[in-house]
Amino acid sequence: MTAPTTHERAHQRVPLWRDVIVLKWVAQVFLLVVVLSTMFFLATQAGDNLRARNIVSTFDFLERPIDIQLSEGIDTHPDTGARALWTGMVNTLRISVAGIFFATLLGIVVGLARLSDNWLVRRLGSMWVETLRNIPLLVQMIFYFSVLTTLPRVGLGTGPINGWFHISNKGISMPRVFIADGFYQWLMVVGVGAVAAHYVRRHRQRIQDETGAMTSPILWGIGTVALFGLIGIFVHPMFTWMGGIFGAIADLLDSLPIIAPQILFSVVALGVAARWISRFLTDHRSVRGHLSLSDDDWFRIAFAALASLIIVFVLVRWTGFSSWTLNSGRDLFHVLEDKFNVDGAARPFDAMRPDIIQKSRFPNYGKNGLTMSIGFAAVFFGVVFYTSAFIGENVRGGILAVPKGQSEAAMAVGLGRGQVLRHVVLPQAIRIILPPTGNQYLNLLKNTSLAVAVGYSDLVQIGQTTYNQTGMTLPVVAIWMLFYLSCSLSISVVVNWFNVRMKLVER
Amino acid sequence: MTDAAAAEPADDQGQTRDLSNARDMIVCEEVSKWYGDFRALDKISTTIKEQEVVVVLGPSGSGKSTWIRCINRLEIHQEGRIVVDDVELTNDLRNIEQVRSEVGMVFQQFNLFPHLKVIDNVSLAPIWVRKKPRAEAEEQAMAQLERVGIPEQAHKYPGQLSGGQQQRVAIARALAMEPKIMLFDEVTSALDPEMVKEVLDIMKTLALSGMTMMVVTHEMGFAKEVADRIIFMEEGQIVEQGTPTHFFENPTEDRTKLFLSQIL
Repeated sequence: MTAPTTHERAHQRVPLWRDVIVLKWVAQVFLLVVVLSTMFFLATQAGDNLRARNIVSTFDFLERPIDIQLSEGIDTHPDTGARALWTGMVNTLRISVAGIFFATLLGIVVGLARLSDNWLVRRLGSMWVETLRNIPLLVQMIFYFSVLTTLPRVGLGTGPINGWFHISNKGISMPRVFIADGFYQWLMVVGVGAVAAHYVRRHRQRIQDETGAMTSPILWGIGTVALFGLIGIFVHPMFTWMGGIFGAIADLLDSLPIIAPQILFSVVALGVAARWISRFLTDHRSVRGHLSLSDDDWFRIAFAALASLIIVFVLVRWTGFSSWTLNSGRDLFHVLEDKFNVDGAARPFDAMRPDIIQKSRFPNYGKNGLTMSIGFAAVFFGVVFYTSAFIGENVRGGILAVPKGQSEAAMAVGLGRGQVLRHVVLPQAIRIILPPTGNQYLNLLKNTSLAVAVGYSDLVQIGQTTYNQTGMTLPVVAIWMLFYLSCSLSISVVVNWFNVRMKLVER
Repeated sequence: MTDAAAAEPADDQGQTRDLSNARDMIVCEEVSKWYGDFRALDKISTTIKEQEVVVVLGPSGSGKSTWIRCINRLEIHQEGRIVVDDVELTNDLRNIEQVRSEVGMVFQQFNLFPHLKVIDNVSLAPIWVRKKPRAEAEEQAMAQLERVGIPEQAHKYPGQLSGGQQQRVAIARALAMEPKIMLFDEVTSALDPEMVKEVLDIMKTLALSGMTMMVVTHEMGFAKEVADRIIFMEEGQIVEQGTPTHFFENPTEDRTKLFLSQIL
């Protein structure tokens, strides 16, 4: 190996201002300093300016009472700003999760329809895609909203099926199934069932591998969980004792000094950094143990070490985070204790039929039913239809991108049409479909913020009301941004994890 | 599976084998096919006997690949009859799947399944079409991989193998279904020159073991050495056919002579 010697010689001869390695390091450090000081400057400037104009930005409004009434959500009369924003987040998440689920299903149908052998189905698929993706989503939402408002007005005797199913200009209301007091104990029984299902599935798989008989292991696994769920309805009070354990944990957390989480988090931060660095070094070591690191690699190692030290410093200087973890941990386990310390006869689930109440002149849906307001419906149909058009194109493109030779080779060994699709075409197509579809999920989440146009109480709408009342624009916007950012990043992480797992092995 | 030990050893050149009493494996009667106005196959009629090795030669665009792909219905012929091992290829899905599971095919571009390991490529069809237990299917897949000389690659992915190794896996994959007939569609055309021999050697061994084979190729050496019969095609028609000696030494048709003068 001559590389190290030339490397050393270069160090001896080249003057500092011409040494590429020195220059790189100087550039990295310089850039870091510039970025950090710019951020610091902007933050202090903004703070000074706001103070000069007598605008105080605090997050106090989160704990103060607020006068707001929401059309729907987990709490229609929130008592604090935090509670109001939390209701909005839940509403946004509710519509995003439902939207992602149904947009995916519909998108697959649309994509397959566009590849169909049937002329009519193919044309319908094309029409769906071309129409929906070429009209702005906002316009579509307003269109659905205005169509839905033309439905008949709600009255005490309306509905297609009175008392069970109602459709009116206030939305759709149907019976609601909800979790009741015994749910958490029941969940424990299901958890035990999941463990059992794991072994049942493995056992059935082994039989299939050994005998060739089709034993449908996955169906058996699902069946086991279902069986435990069914039995759990009757036997779930057997888990009441877990309340005591949670209570003990809560008491333990209450008695811990603040130093305990500080030490724990510091050790974790240092440990993670140390583990990352040692792994990084092993990954960059050749089989013979020769270590070759570029300047970038050195910079990354330095950055990892620095970051962990900064975390430790912050933890020690600022006890807020540590005490917050202790307190909320204690509260969490107290809540869990309450969830388990219930009457043994409590049901895991309950159901209620929709109701219509008339308090003043106009009747409206009551709280009992599962009500889909027209605001929700407009946003929901908007994002689902719109995104399904894009996902459909991804599905179509992904399947077309699998070379024709693949399905020919699969057919040539005798696989049937369904088998070709299942074992050869789809596993390859999914790798192409997934990344752009992940982007569509991100778009869907962000597009739900258009709900403000049709009066659905999502985070943006509630946030607007909140800052109109309190004047705290910047804090509310900061909360918006942080919320959407963390949701988007979570989706990205999940999609990327799948991408990495599914990558084809090449040379 | 055609057992190598039980098969009668063919003589050196494989040219003077008398197959006239053997069973008919592939019967083509007046097979025609059009792509739009272009006539790809023009009344092809011939019969291929059991254990016969037929090499199909001809300039590119002469319909060789189209014909061979008609035999397991990757292409659909529009006129005439094709009967494979007493099963006629019609629109009947059951016939098509039966023929496909008895006819192995190897392609120019390998077409291995890149998301499956080599062993899973080979055992996929036995498990799902023949409904064999996985353990047994994998054991047989290993046996096929040993037959083509690359058992040590069983747990790699196709993308990690060389072209010649990939094509040998493709042969093993076709053999794993224990076919009665093997179709080879220009299997050495996409290979680097140094890898052509390893694939041809396996095909020779296969021919000697008594497999019925139909081979589209440009390898004249292989045709001379292994073929029982050579079929020369041009513009979708069979121009001339005969033993390698007849074909290479005194062809009767002018077009054959022209073709030979261009390639030899």
